[in-house]
Amino acid sequence: MSPWGRAAAAVLLCAGCSTPPTAPLPPVGARATDANARAAALVRAGDFAGAARRYEEALALARSVEDVDAIAANAINLSVVYQWLGRDGAARDALKIVLEDPQRPYSERRRLQAELRRAMLELASRNLPAAADFAARAEARCARMACENASALLNVKSQLMLDGGRAAEAALLAQAAADAARSRGERSEQANALRNLGRAKLAGGEAAAAAAVFEQALAIDHALADPRKIHADLLDLARASAAAGDREAARGYLERAQTVSHAAGDPRGAHEMEVELKLR
Amino acid sequence: MSEQFRPPVRFPHLLAKVNAFLIVALALVATFGSIVAHKQGWFVKQTMIRVVTPDALGISKGMPVKLYGFTVGSVSEMQLVPGGVDVQLAIMTEHMPRIPKGSRARFARESGVIGASVIEIVPGKPINGELAEGEQIDFERSRGISEIVEDFRRQAAPAFAELKNTLAQVNRSSEDLGAVLHALRTEAEELPATHRALRRFITNADRATVQMTATLQSVQRTSDTIERTTPALAGKLATTLDSVDSAVVQLRQTAAEAQETLRGVRPVIDRSEATLRDASEVFSAAKRVWPLSDAMKEPADATLPIDSFEGQAAPGPVRP
Repeated sequence: MSPWGRAAAAVLLCAGCSTPPTAPLPPVGARATDANARAAALVRAGDFAGAARRYEEALALARSVEDVDAIAANAINLSVVYQWLGRDGAARDALKIVLEDPQRPYSERRRLQAELRRAMLELASRNLPAAADFAARAEARCARMACENASALLNVKSQLMLDGGRAAEAALLAQAAADAARSRGERSEQANALRNLGRAKLAGGEAAAAAAVFEQALAIDHALADPRKIHADLLDLARASAAAGDREAARGYLERAQTVSHAAGDPRGAHEMEVELKLR
Repeated sequence: MSEQFRPPVRFPHLLAKVNAFLIVALALVATFGSIVAHKQGWFVKQTMIRVVTPDALGISKGMPVKLYGFTVGSVSEMQLVPGGVDVQLAIMTEHMPRIPKGSRARFARESGVIGASVIEIVPGKPINGELAEGEQIDFERSRGISEIVEDFRRQAAPAFAELKNTLAQVNRSSEDLGAVLHALRTEAEELPATHRALRRFITNADRATVQMTATLQSVQRTSDTIERTTPALAGKLATTLDSVDSAVVQLRQTAAEAQETLRGVRPVIDRSEATLRDASEVFSAAKRVWPLSDAMKEPADATLPIDSFEGQAAPGPVRP
């Protein structure tokens, strides 16, 4: 068979394997998908305000066609972006769309995600009773911790224990979260769990063990290339080194954290590090 | 026989004289008593009314009672009662119709704060009817001199303080006043020089006016020249405008031709748009066909990752 004949046969074979095209998206759905995709691109570019506008547009489009799942997804996305922008009130309002509307048939998965996000918001605001309440509601939807957000939920519970001064229980929960995240391949949650575990160990007076765990978290966060988490890891390492009496090492970690803050355009974090360094 | 002895009479008709004297004296005493009694108002019918005051300081028996500044009675009796002092005022009955019920009595002085003390009746409204014998009316004490002085002192104190401040400021500013006067004197000394300079300025202004007249004459000559030149310029301008007009006509023709050309191109553009739309649809359909659909699949779940890091608090300060 000539080369042209072989090529024609290959094309025919591919055509036979191909499936008929799926139905195109309706116009509003296409616009919502487009707005969502643009928002995700803006998030990757670090333009959170622009991303919030796109998610608001996507949410309005989803509401106009009563696409319940898209409404919930965009509301949750909006809560994330608003929190990054420091607008915690707006983030709570966005989550209320899912949490305070029993009439719409939101899926259990979306409700769990919204409750988990609300627990994180309250935890970040140091409102521990509300955070515990929403974490418990999310846990009730996550049967035997087998849901997709189980590791994040375990991490939130671990943080709650840590903030409540129960370091030993926080360490157990963080270890469980780390195991769950590792088995699912969720490297981000694994690093979060290791960070929690290190903090719990540090609270328990095991500075050297804590430093080792923080190093593991830092290695993962380096791979994920998330400056905020790298900054947090370096700061935790500085605390662990200081607790172990190694002032030089602590100073080195603080300087690295300051550099990361400067490079990531976080002047507040850089200033805090500068203050820490002066204090030392 | 001898005549009956008759003792010598030193004061003949003495008894008659004494009796006459006594009668005259009694008549004088009676007249005087009548006058006094009349002056004291013993023959005037009086009506008693009462006032009760918490203290009777300054009130004494016999103190006149006045109505509109006219004496209509006096204080006749004072006695202590549980609420203070009951003061009885004897008012001439003929004046009682002017003192109806609801009238008030007050302690006053005839000439401001230093005159004789009197009790002044402030009449009420006549429609209330007349006061009866022994009826009580309200009494109000006027302010004493000490109260008036204290009130005046309270009101005048801020004004005196302001005055004191003002005087202090005047004292301070008097130091500056000397400098101001010195500066004024210096300026006044320079006035003759200023006057001379002004005179020179006026002389110069006169000269400038003469020069300006010459300049205006030159301007007049120039304007005459322009006036003569303008018709020629207007002719040239008209020619230029004609040229511009013909150019505009040419431009309009060119635009019309371009419009015709665009009208011819329009179907081509429409067809291109339709072709592009079709190509987009074909491309979209191709994206949804395996195996391209796997490579270009739209994200099914466009939710941002729910990262528990968002709930993590920033680590606390570094402590050794």
